[in-house]
Amino acid sequence: MDFFALALIIALPFVAGLAAALLPSDSRTPVTWLAGLTAATCLALTFSFYPAVSSGHVVRYQIDWIPQLGLGFTLRMDGFAWVFASLVSAMALLVVIYTRYYISREDPVRRFYLLFLGFMGSMLGIVLSGNLILLVVFWELTSLFSFLLIGYWHHKQAARDGARMALTITSVGGLSLLAGILVIGHIVGSYDLDAVLASGNAIREHHLYVPALLLFLLGVLTKSAQFPFHFWLPNAMAAPTPVSAFLHSATLVKGGVFLMARLWPVLAGTPEWFTILGLAGMASFVLGAYLAMFQQDLKGLLAYSTISHLGLITLLLSLGSPLAAVAAIFHMLNHATFKASLFMAAGIIDHEAGTRDLRQLSGLFRYMPITGTLATVASAAMAGVPLLNGFLSKEMFFAEAVETHANSWVDTIAPYAAVLGSTLAVTYSIRLIHSIFLGAPPPESFPREPHEPPFWMRFPVMCLVVTCLVVGIIPGLTIGPFLRIAVTSVLGEATPAYSLAIWHGFTIAFGMSVIALVCGTMLYLVAGNYLEHTDSPPVFGRIQGQRLFERTMVAISWRWARSIEEVLGTRRLQPQVRLLVAVAIAAGAIPILSAGLDFGPVGNGIDIAFTGLWCIGMVCAVAAAYLAKFHRLAALALLGGAGLVTCVTFVWLSAPDLAATQLAVEIVTTVLILLGLRWLPKRWRTAEEPIGVSDRLRRLRDLSLAVMAGSGMTVVSLAVLTRTSPDSIADFFIENAYTEGGGRNVVNVILVDFRGFDTLGEITVLGIVALTVFALLRRFRPAPDTIERPEQQRIQQSYDEAEPDRKAGATATEYLYVPSVIMQWMFPVVIVLAAYLFLRGHDAPGGGFVAGVALAAGFILQYMAAGTVWVEDRLRILPVVWMGVGLLLAALTGVASILLGDPFLTSYFQYADVPVLGKIPLASATVFDLGVFSLVVGATVLMLIAIAHQSIRRLRAARLEEARQLEEKQQWS
Amino acid sequence: MSHAAELPVWAALLTSLLLLVGAGLTLLGAVGVLQFRSFFERVHAPTLGTSWGTGAIALASIVFFSSLGTRLVVHEVLIGVFITVTTPVTLMLLARAALHRERAEENPNVPSRAVMRRRGSAPAPEDGAGDAAGTPSS
Repeated sequence: MDFFALALIIALPFVAGLAAALLPSDSRTPVTWLAGLTAATCLALTFSFYPAVSSGHVVRYQIDWIPQLGLGFTLRMDGFAWVFASLVSAMALLVVIYTRYYISREDPVRRFYLLFLGFMGSMLGIVLSGNLILLVVFWELTSLFSFLLIGYWHHKQAARDGARMALTITSVGGLSLLAGILVIGHIVGSYDLDAVLASGNAIREHHLYVPALLLFLLGVLTKSAQFPFHFWLPNAMAAPTPVSAFLHSATLVKGGVFLMARLWPVLAGTPEWFTILGLAGMASFVLGAYLAMFQQDLKGLLAYSTISHLGLITLLLSLGSPLAAVAAIFHMLNHATFKASLFMAAGIIDHEAGTRDLRQLSGLFRYMPITGTLATVASAAMAGVPLLNGFLSKEMFFAEAVETHANSWVDTIAPYAAVLGSTLAVTYSIRLIHSIFLGAPPPESFPREPHEPPFWMRFPVMCLVVTCLVVGIIPGLTIGPFLRIAVTSVLGEATPAYSLAIWHGFTIAFGMSVIALVCGTMLYLVAGNYLEHTDSPPVFGRIQGQRLFERTMVAISWRWARSIEEVLGTRRLQPQVRLLVAVAIAAGAIPILSAGLDFGPVGNGIDIAFTGLWCIGMVCAVAAAYLAKFHRLAALALLGGAGLVTCVTFVWLSAPDLAATQLAVEIVTTVLILLGLRWLPKRWRTAEEPIGVSDRLRRLRDLSLAVMAGSGMTVVSLAVLTRTSPDSIADFFIENAYTEGGGRNVVNVILVDFRGFDTLGEITVLGIVALTVFALLRRFRPAPDTIERPEQQRIQQSYDEAEPDRKAGATATEYLYVPSVIMQWMFPVVIVLAAYLFLRGHDAPGGGFVAGVALAAGFILQYMAAGTVWVEDRLRILPVVWMGVGLLLAALTGVASILLGDPFLTSYFQYADVPVLGKIPLASATVFDLGVFSLVVGATVLMLIAIAHQSIRRLRAARLEEARQLEEKQQWS
Repeated sequence: MSHAAELPVWAALLTSLLLLVGAGLTLLGAVGVLQFRSFFERVHAPTLGTSWGTGAIALASIVFFSSLGTRLVVHEVLIGVFITVTTPVTLMLLARAALHRERAEENPNVPSRAVMRRRGSAPAPEDGAGDAAGTPSS
């Protein structure tokens, strides 16, 4: 049961996300409840593991995924994962409550929750993965959801740019991480986390350690927005604030440091680890804090501060000492609480005051005292003021920075960097509070009159701030046990003794804290005014990773792509086809030339009638190809001739099934092409242009290509047909069709029973194709020379207009009087025919497919007879419903057999006694076939109607022009 | 055709006769399509095949299978019915399309539409090629 709960924690958010997407669009409250309950359930499930985890037990749940490749769907919860899973679920719960009041009525709230819950599920997946490849999969998912959430307001340019930048950088990192994981897996021989954690020495001593480390670090540093990849995070602030609070302070960016800590026992402790991570962490810590001071956007300040704090964690992890790792894990939790609360407070300010610009905001305390107090406490925690949680972990950080871990210059400057960074952190924290809440309100009023937010919007902030306080005052009683299980599960036996007390006496660390606080305050007093009015930070403002990134993107995705396209691409159809045919010839010729081609004995005797039939077919085909260039209609008619010959051939060779299907398909195809012809440009046989030598050569080459392809195909077919076929599965089908499948029509039994799964896949593809065609045609833009009505229609129109008592379209109707009556009378006949074909399908030629096509032909006949408008006034065909019902029916038939304990799509077969009709055979495959029938009807009709609608759809410009002409005419008359 | 030997002589003779008649008529129609010059003449020729050509062959089939089996086989009647219902419509459509094209090309041999529509009140029609638009069909 426990194991299922583990899988449920991950599965639940995804399921709930889909459910949220399916709710009606105006259901704000139900969606919020759904999301909140999901987060609460995940939290409760996680807590239910506490007894097991706190005793040092590791809960595992494993399903084989691709065992041959060492891939398992392994979930694993130890103390560290437990703490993080609780963090993610609890944060999600608070953010959901907050979002309820943040997201406005106009925003598509379902999409938000779909993405939000999807992200939550993937984040929990990262935390709980017990297999490194699985972890990378979830890692990529978080990047993807982060991209979609940043771009949630996709009508804003900034959101789109920020989303794209975040995706590009984190997914490059993700790829690199995958490569790193593959190398590690290669070294260890397994991707299982336990196996990897057990082989730390083997990894560190392996000659592939450095490449693996570099790839791995590229992945985690990009995710955690560490220097020099930090610039995506400030740009991601275009996201809605709940997203920033959840993703960009508490969870997503913690993914990088989480994984670093996870693999810390395996990878850490080498000089390479220390140097790279130490430098990156230190640079992010100091530079982030420095840049944060100068930000004028509230969220921008918080983003740079996040970079800085993550740099602190990275720096701690780089040191390689167990105590530093403890501090790192502790700070991860502390940072999540105070930073998320600050983001939420920023959202409240933005929401209530209408701006996030620090230069405009001032004196807000008198409008919102409670929010102001909460924000002040949270920023004090961020600055590392005593009695708050930030102080404790910072204290540990200072103590570790002073210690010497490796004898290098990086280690020597670490304490100075630590004090410098913390000083700057104090400065920007003071600036945050001072410029927003204190001082006089600005002379010009805010965009909106600010006031306190609703209680429940403040509630999550309150929870987090209370946590900051409680943890800061009585750490041992609150966070202590949780931190201990997290630390023990990461460090194992190397867990050091550490103390969470507030007061350690006058240590160097305390001195450094005091220095930072005092210097930071003084710096603000001195430079506060300057910070308030500067536009870009001096010195480091010039380092613009963003510019570099954009230039690279332009070069890769625009300039290089263009030049490659110019060199390799062509927009002309002929060279493409030529290339395709040439490759096909080569692909056929190489194996034949290398292995030879055996012919079987050619049967004697020529059936004159059959040969004659084929001669007709061949003449039709060749003539169609010849005429295709100048007379498309004639070519189409000839194509129909060739199709009919094929049809008769099937009958001749005793395949009535194929013949019937071919006939129905032929009809529908012809109609389809006919409808499409109208949109092709008219072609005239122009005077023969003078032909030069090069033209002749080109034609000769094309001709020889065509002849080679054709004759090659003929030879290969002949060879295949004359050989005796090996024993194939066909015999099995023929023998067992009746006994096993309950049908005498072997083809149909194969389709709906023996190979039912294939058919299910095929009809799914058919459905997708139909929808794609529909979607493409909706956006169809005809070529300029076919926008105008075709000549025939214009003539008809001029007839109608010439006579005052005729309505538009009367000529066409008149021409079709008699045919349309017959066509309408034929409709029931076609329906009966389709039903007949369907019902006899299992035992005699027929079946769902041909019946579906026949019914579709019946529908399209009605369209032809009376016109689109007339038919749709009277007969509502809902092709998409037909398709959906068909797919569902087919799939449910398959599922029904699972419920009865048999494999998917097992069919049942029985005789039933029906009064009046007598004994009739019943097979569950018939229901499946009904699904096929319904889908085929839907798909075919959808495509045909989509094309048919083009003729009544007029381009806007053409419509306006027509209306104008009509108006003019009326004025004159 | 292994069953042909079991056929009574009268039935065999009747079947052959009907088949020959049907096939002959259809062939005649096909020759007509080749021989006639204008479209409006040609459109009449295939009707030989679709009327009695089909009819005779269907009858032959009825006779053949009825006398082979023990009961009357009349499936072929359906073929006849459907051919009778659909072919005229097809030909009618073809003829009207041809008429439309001729008019569009302003061929002098075809009655123009505007002339036909004016009855009585307008100057007399140039020629009396047809009273209504529906005549060119079979």
